[in-house]
Amino acid sequence: MTMVEEDKYEFQYSIDCKPDFAFLSVAIPESQTLKVEASAMATMDTTLKMKTRMKGGFGRFLTGESLFINEFTAEYGPGQIQIAPGSPGDMDHVYLEGQTIFLQNSAYVASTLGVEIETKWQGFMKGFFSGESLFLIRCSGNGDLWFNTYGAMIKIDVDGEYIVDTGHIVAFTEGLDYSVSSVGGYKSLFLSGEGLVCRFRGTGTVWVQTRQVAAFTSWVWPFRPVESSD
Amino acid sequence: MKTEIPGKPSFAYINVDLEPGESIVAESDAMTSMAADLDMKASFNGGFFGGLAKKFLGGESLFVNTYTNNTSEPKRVTLVQATPGDVVEIDLNDQNYCLQPGAYIASTPGLKLGVKWAGFASWIGKEGLFKLQVKGTGKLFYGAYGGLLEKEVDGEFIVDTSHLVAYEPQLKLKTQLAGGIFSSFFSGEGLVTRIEGKGKIIIQTRSLSGLAEWTNHYI
Amino acid sequence: MDVKILHGPGNSAARVWVNPGECLTAEGGAMISMSGDMNIQTTTLKRGKGGFLKAVKRMLAGENFFLNHYTPGPAGGEVLLATTLPGDMMTYDLDNESLIVQGGSFVACEEQVDVDLSWQGFKSFLADDSMFWINLKGTGKTVINSFGAIYPVEVDGEYIVDTGHIVAFNETLQFSLTKAGGSWATAIFGGEGLVCKFQGTGTVWCQSHNSNNFGSTLGPMLRARQG
Repeated sequence: MTMVEEDKYEFQYSIDCKPDFAFLSVAIPESQTLKVEASAMATMDTTLKMKTRMKGGFGRFLTGESLFINEFTAEYGPGQIQIAPGSPGDMDHVYLEGQTIFLQNSAYVASTLGVEIETKWQGFMKGFFSGESLFLIRCSGNGDLWFNTYGAMIKIDVDGEYIVDTGHIVAFTEGLDYSVSSVGGYKSLFLSGEGLVCRFRGTGTVWVQTRQVAAFTSWVWPFRPVESSD
Repeated sequence: MKTEIPGKPSFAYINVDLEPGESIVAESDAMTSMAADLDMKASFNGGFFGGLAKKFLGGESLFVNTYTNNTSEPKRVTLVQATPGDVVEIDLNDQNYCLQPGAYIASTPGLKLGVKWAGFASWIGKEGLFKLQVKGTGKLFYGAYGGLLEKEVDGEFIVDTSHLVAYEPQLKLKTQLAGGIFSSFFSGEGLVTRIEGKGKIIIQTRSLSGLAEWTNHYI
Repeated sequence: MDVKILHGPGNSAARVWVNPGECLTAEGGAMISMSGDMNIQTTTLKRGKGGFLKAVKRMLAGENFFLNHYTPGPAGGEVLLATTLPGDMMTYDLDNESLIVQGGSFVACEEQVDVDLSWQGFKSFLADDSMFWINLKGTGKTVINSFGAIYPVEVDGEYIVDTGHIVAFNETLQFSLTKAGGSWATAIFGGEGLVCKFQGTGTVWCQSHNSNNFGSTLGPMLRARQG
């Protein structure tokens, strides 16, 4: 099982404000293109031009399942773009050389054109995460891939067996066997507060985030405005 | 006055050690803890400029508190903003400085706060109609949700409006669409701010509207 | 048992190594990941006089007070724990004493520490139903989290802390609720309202931020809910 390269990259980049509000700066060489998660652009040089590519079409409005990606091309000269995801947390970069990484869809930040991103792929496991708006995407090919975590990031080298609560999974390398189950019977599922867990077997890397979306949305619930029924 | 800002950048908070006779002004509800013998007095923000206008249009609260040390020893008050994030302290020397409303946390009494019209586009971009202008001599503490980074602009530069925190007053700001009309709305980028001139700006590495948008996706 | 706090103060997680024969008690829903052969058992804790229905209501409001007990396999095991809100974490070794902890701040403790929900110290003052306090009693390691950075204040005399910023304090301290500033007008308009005055000798652990303030700032920007 090949490990992903740590130090190689296609575009020069830097990540500031780790690990809590990680902020990505990428230098796009002239006439090259960078794919970026929609609405994540924070600043950019005026030499860059933005094009929208709605991957998955209008699907987002209907099922909540889609990945919106914009393309920024350095049309008038090289330019720098700075990218901020919506959630607070850390960011990591991998340089893929023919390898494959599975990524939680909301963790995608940016990638170069050589990385192929598939939202529906063979072996796609519906219900990997509880809830519909979280699903696994498959990233493969050659190029840079940046992804973020909600919360701090912990990289775990698995060699044997390891169990991770699915709400905390960000990414993992191909080659690991994975199976999803509840932590131990129905009573545990509801009362223990632990939802689905994923059992990883084999050798590879799992990226884990220290926060969980479900916990945040239930905390924020009482602060939401209430819909008036008249 | 001795100040320090621990907890950076995710939960920055301000420790202010006031010498006897010194005071610090802070937005209401900023105090987390303080020495029991400090005096605290609330006053209506209207002393600065249209307190009411500020509340509804500028995002700042109606009241500020002034903490004064009327004892004979240095005493501490700890201040914080409502959101997690970074805090910056700057010293102004008979200068002007522009802030996003909501970024203000505290200042020494020598600084005056006023509001400046920011244009309709700023309102459409959900940033509010006004910007805060600070002038005079003294210390200013401001912060935002996210980390804070300084950028030197020389020429022109584009910033997503919800990521701009503060800027030097000589810079010119214009609002424009992020791309063509179709791109701007479907890209999720919408309106952006075009900055022209030479000077420093402070950007925040996250935004509340970005967080709200991300959260809304899951609720 | 060995506890290491990672990534404070912004997004803390606790990495706990549990030796064979030991048992870790943790708040329900806190587990990020664990070794393959860790065993979990769940118990519920009654809050004051409320029964099961009240318990469920609390759970929906985001407060889990189901406790999970982790026992490792024969070689020991690791558990990674997280919390609802971002913030700091600290460990405190109880030495036959009582530590009063804000309910939402409890993360985990060694099994022999008593987790008591019936502490009523603030009852007559704070009508705030959403805040509850846990009394951690006995001897052993405890793990506590906060919203914001945790900073200790060594009280020797008097000190004032805004109630929303109290994480934990030694039971040896006296406290009273008081209005901030001299007059009621100041208290109401200054936004500080009632604050807590600690007296005596002991430590108060404060959190730099207040989750209710953050919630009220973010809340209006979110999609509305049905009632």
